[in-house]
Amino acid sequence: MSNRITYTCEDHLITKQAKAEKAFLETFEKGDYTLGNPLVIENPYFINPLCALVLFTTPQETAATVTVRGKLVEREDVTHTFAPGKVHRLPVLGLYEDFANTVDITLADGTSTTLTIKTGKLPARVSRCRHISTSKDYLGDDLMFLSTAGKNSPAAYDYKGNIRWMLTVNTMFDLKRAENGNLLTGSPRFCRMPYNATGLIEFDMLGKIYKEYRLPGNYHHDQWEMEDGNLLILTQDFHTDTVEDQCVLVDRNTGDILKTWDFKDCLPQDVAGSGSQDPHDWFHNNSVWYDKKTNSLTLSGRHQDAIINIDYETGELNWIVGDPEGWPQEMVDKYFFTPVGDVDNFDWQYEQHAALITPEGDVMCFDNGQYRAKSKENHLKNKDNFSRGVRYRIDTEKMEIEQVWQYGKERGQEFMSPYICNVEYYADGHYMIHSGGIGFENGYAADSLGAFLDKSDPKVELRSTTVEEKDGIVLYEMETEGNFYRAEKLPLYHDGDNVTFGPGRLLGKLDVTPTFDTDPDIEESEELPDEWHNIIIEEDEDRLVFHGKFERGTLAMLCLVGEEGSHNYFINTAAVRHLAMCSGAFLEDDDRDVKLNVSKEGLKGRYTVKLIINDKKHHLGVSIHA
Amino acid sequence: MIKEINTEEYDAMDKSGAMMLEFYSKTCGPCKMLAFVLKDIAKMHPDFPIYTVDFDENVELKERLGVKGFPTMLLMKDGQEASRMEGLKQKPAIAKEIEAIA
Repeated sequence: MSNRITYTCEDHLITKQAKAEKAFLETFEKGDYTLGNPLVIENPYFINPLCALVLFTTPQETAATVTVRGKLVEREDVTHTFAPGKVHRLPVLGLYEDFANTVDITLADGTSTTLTIKTGKLPARVSRCRHISTSKDYLGDDLMFLSTAGKNSPAAYDYKGNIRWMLTVNTMFDLKRAENGNLLTGSPRFCRMPYNATGLIEFDMLGKIYKEYRLPGNYHHDQWEMEDGNLLILTQDFHTDTVEDQCVLVDRNTGDILKTWDFKDCLPQDVAGSGSQDPHDWFHNNSVWYDKKTNSLTLSGRHQDAIINIDYETGELNWIVGDPEGWPQEMVDKYFFTPVGDVDNFDWQYEQHAALITPEGDVMCFDNGQYRAKSKENHLKNKDNFSRGVRYRIDTEKMEIEQVWQYGKERGQEFMSPYICNVEYYADGHYMIHSGGIGFENGYAADSLGAFLDKSDPKVELRSTTVEEKDGIVLYEMETEGNFYRAEKLPLYHDGDNVTFGPGRLLGKLDVTPTFDTDPDIEESEELPDEWHNIIIEEDEDRLVFHGKFERGTLAMLCLVGEEGSHNYFINTAAVRHLAMCSGAFLEDDDRDVKLNVSKEGLKGRYTVKLIINDKKHHLGVSIHA
Repeated sequence: MIKEINTEEYDAMDKSGAMMLEFYSKTCGPCKMLAFVLKDIAKMHPDFPIYTVDFDENVELKERLGVKGFPTMLLMKDGQEASRMEGLKQKPAIAKEIEAIA
């Protein structure tokens, strides 16, 4: 065995993209690029291999249309006409993988040029469509975007199941289109296990990141764009003993936190726990929805089997949709609903995701149904269980609830997703139901979440099924490999600016990483740790990420030694069992592999890096700068 | 003062006054770190007795005291549990508990 460590220092992706953009725009400025001889930049921002940017000028102002020709017939074309101009900077989206794509650029007067853009094979970790049943007439220009729940890449599928868009970075949780046409999703940058990313990113279909909104409590699960552009983001305060129980309002332009809702202020933490609850992750907030009519927030709390509604201004509790078993009677009397209508076919939701309010004021969610009971003796195995989309009509005067629609119960275990997933409301009677967390083991729905199943085991199968139903008729169904957090139906292009030039921005800030105040008196060693530990230190602009492998029970501590003293960070090498794993993107196959994120917030100057492993403090021969 | 004891020694000892019982495991990284923390605590509170107990070798005692994992620190007053801390803690949190019963 030899001794070594790996150290990398990289710019943030925003910085890398800004440098690349500056370079190709300079090339464009210096050259004479015309319709017949345009500048073509493939994958200009590094993370979407199925796109290109075409740049040229025309003597007169004119509109240009880009058409990516379908493989077989014209109706499969992806086409978009851009606003008129003399300088044309045209995103080409929706290229086929591993294919010599034919791309037409046509001006308003009919003159055109045809380009061939060859793409490569996609990474092996992309999840393939196994089956799709729909029509081009139904799907139109839309693609089905699936946001990842693991190490598979986010991708978008056309009406034939072809992948026409993807990212090679593992963005986190929900993906939504903002009012300006850009996309919002979780940053791929790891910050804290199990799935906390540094923040939210705003980017376009080319993969250009305009902003990263960093948060001290990091980002998880869901976000919502308000009418004024500010963002509701789910987060937490790591200085408390609990997680996934806060929402913040973030200024869209500065990244500043304007308002915070802490659900501990309106809910008891030790009642009515779902089968997955623990005291640390007592609520497990996995969705946020703002309703303008009632000026309220609707929040899904998986670990209390509860959808709660709170006043936007005061944070006071308005109502709770959920099984009242286990809640204090005074709360049941005040906040819970009584089922009415066809009560024989009424089911409460359990461990639900993606709660939303319809324009009619109804409540919808994906009812995962994990355990499907409050008390342990009534818990169901997933093979005997079901998941579904459900719509409840609520009367907040009479405190009555009626189940007015569901899809999925009839499919039983084959549609069972014990975690993740979403529903979408398009119109009354027109819905999407995304069961993205299906996991089978030995032919039955597994009781473990997909993220925990051994994907290399031939008896294990992960899949994702997305359905759209209109007036009771299924008009779309797609099955893919792997698990996907949510589905979102979107066209590739929008009517606004599909790309804007200029450097992206890092907004907000990370928290100071808590240090350990005891400095163990341990013998120092100039010898590097054994290669088996596979020590990797990744430094970027605002943090460093430490990776290492340790046998359970190893004493491990990272020490940053600066002029003013040492900052010590305890590394937990104990096995940590997570009850919820809504995104396994940061999960390692070997649970002896640990990661530690250290924010540069609160650090200043140069630090040499040392590592305690049991009875030795190793000098790693690396220094970082903050 | 830090001293390792076993079940027999615990049963035989005079339990009047305040003390800490810390259950640890040799296979636990946080326990190893806590040992350094408790050394510092012992310097801050030299008269406060801290007894360490091997979780794996004193099964009956840990079950009798309701200790489910490691590290676990029991703050005892006259033989009765006054409070407990589970998991690795830093010096201020431990000192606060000691000062509450000492």
